[in-house]
Amino acid sequence: MKFVIFAGTPGSGKTSIIKYIVQELKENFKLFFAKFDCLQTSDDERIKQEYKIPTVKKLAGELCPDHYTALEIPKIVKENQDKDVIILETAGLCLRCSPYIKEGLGINVLDITSGDPSRYGPILTQADVVAVSKGDLISQAEREIFRAKILKVNPKAKIVEVNGLTGEGAIDVAEFIKLSSHIENKKLRLKHSMPSAVCGYCYGNKIIDEKEVHQRYLAGKELKKLIPNLNCGKCGFKSCNEFIRAVLDKKVKKEQCPFIKQKVVTIKKL
Amino acid sequence: MDEEIKKITILPGINKFGKKENFEKIEIKKGQVIAIVGNTGAGKTQLLYDIERLAQKDTRSRRKFLVNDKIPDKEMRFNPERKLIASLAQSMNFLMDISVRDFLKLHLESRGKKARQGLLKEVIKEANEITGEAISPEMNLLNLSGGQSRALMVSDVANISVSPIILIDEIENAGIRKEKAIEILVEEGKIVLIVTHDPSLALNADKRIIIKNGGIVKILDTTLKEKGIAYYLNWIENYNLEIREKIRQGREIKNVEIYCEPIKLKK
Repeated sequence: MKFVIFAGTPGSGKTSIIKYIVQELKENFKLFFAKFDCLQTSDDERIKQEYKIPTVKKLAGELCPDHYTALEIPKIVKENQDKDVIILETAGLCLRCSPYIKEGLGINVLDITSGDPSRYGPILTQADVVAVSKGDLISQAEREIFRAKILKVNPKAKIVEVNGLTGEGAIDVAEFIKLSSHIENKKLRLKHSMPSAVCGYCYGNKIIDEKEVHQRYLAGKELKKLIPNLNCGKCGFKSCNEFIRAVLDKKVKKEQCPFIKQKVVTIKKL
Repeated sequence: MDEEIKKITILPGINKFGKKENFEKIEIKKGQVIAIVGNTGAGKTQLLYDIERLAQKDTRSRRKFLVNDKIPDKEMRFNPERKLIASLAQSMNFLMDISVRDFLKLHLESRGKKARQGLLKEVIKEANEITGEAISPEMNLLNLSGGQSRALMVSDVANISVSPIILIDEIENAGIRKEKAIEILVEEGKIVLIVTHDPSLALNADKRIIIKNGGIVKILDTTLKEKGIAYYLNWIENYNLEIREKIRQGREIKNVEIYCEPIKLKK
C-alpha cells in the first residue's frame, strides 16, 4: 500500500490535479480517496461519481484540520487494507502543519501566483514533490525564478509543473506515486512535529484576557486527566479535545464520556 | 545539459484508436520553426508532453524520440534541473513588482549564470525590435503594455533561458512583430514550436505537423508559395502595427497606402 498526501492552500488546484492523477492510476491500482476539510466539501462525492472509486469525507470542525488528519490516518489505513494507493487531500489552511508522512509521499500543490516560496513553512520545505500549478499564467522567466526559489528552501524537491485544466503534469506526479515506497507493516512517522496546543484558547476560550485563558487551561487540563484521550467518539464528538471544550462551554455534561462514568463507579465501589 | 541538442527525431507511435501513425520519422533541427496544427483535443498537448519527456514508447502515444540520432540517456530525460521546453503563451503575464533591469538580473541569477557584459542591454534592445513602444530598463514590469510584455518575454527566453526548445502557444495580435520575434529565437539557435492557426505564423514555419485523433496524420513542408503568402500576410500585419503606433501617438491617419515589395528568398 502506498500513502500519498496532497497539501496546498485552498484554490491552488489540488482537487483538479488529483482528478487527472486518479484517471491515470485507476486502471492499474485500487485507489481510495480521503478528503479532509474544515466545514464542508463535496470533492469526495465528485471524485466518487466521476471515477467510481471509494472515497470518504472528513470534516475537522472545531479541531485543527491537520491534527485531525493525523488522528484519522490510522483508521483510514486500517479500513483500507485491500487498497493499493490511498490518496489524502488536506484542508490546506495552515502552512505550518501539513501532516506529511516519512514513509509515504508528500505532495505540495503550490500556486505559482501566490508569491515568494520562502514564506512557506513545512508544507513546502518538507514535501517530496512540489507540483507547481497555474504556470500558464505567468512568464517563462518568472517560472524559472520560482523554481530556483523552491529549490533554495527545499533542495530535494522534485518539481513538476501541473495544470489542473489540461491535466499537464499529472502523468509525472503519477509516476512519483508509483515509485514511492510501501507503508505496510511500517510505523508511520510525521515528517515534522505540529505546533503545540498549549493554552486556554485550545480549550475553546474566547475572551482575550490572561487570567481567563489560564483558568480555562487549568480546567481543561484537569478534565483531560479524567478522560482516556482515545478519541473513540462514543461521546458524540470527534475527539476528546472537542468534548472538553463542549464541557467547559457547559454545552454537555462530562458524564457523557462513558469512561469518566466508569471511573466514578469503580471509586464508589471501593 | 552537457550535450547540445542539434536534432530531434520523432518516431511514430499510435493514435487514440491504437492505429500506427502514418509517417516514418520527423526530423526537427536546431534553428527550425515547426507549426503544430489541429483541433482542440486533437492531441497537441500530448505531442508537446512527449517532446518534453523525450518519450521512449513509455507514454500514451508510444512515440519514441532520438536526440542527435541517439537514444537520449536517463540523465537528459529526468534531470529536474533541465527543462527542455520553455514556453510563451497568450495568457502569460508578468506578476513581479520590479524594474525590467532587476527582473532580468534575477532571472540570470536563478539560472546560475553570470551576466555577460552587455547581455541585459542586448535583451532589451532585441525586445525593442519586436515591439513598437520602446522599453527602458527602469520601467516597472507591471506597467508594460501587452505588446511590451510579450516582446520582453520573447527576448528574455531567447537570450537567458537555456531551454533549447521554445514553445509558442497561440501568440496572436499582441501588438508585436511576430516574424521578428521568431527570427530572434531562431538566431539564438532555438528549435521553435508554434501551436497556432494564425496564417502568417503557420505558413512561415519550415514544417507543419497536422494532428488528428491523438496521432500525427500529416507533415507538410512549407512550400515556396506558402512562404510567399506568409510574407505578404506579415507585411499587412506590420503595416497595421505601424498605423496602430500612429494612432497611439495621436496622429491623424489620412490614407492607407498598400504596396507590395518583391519577396526576399531565404538563403
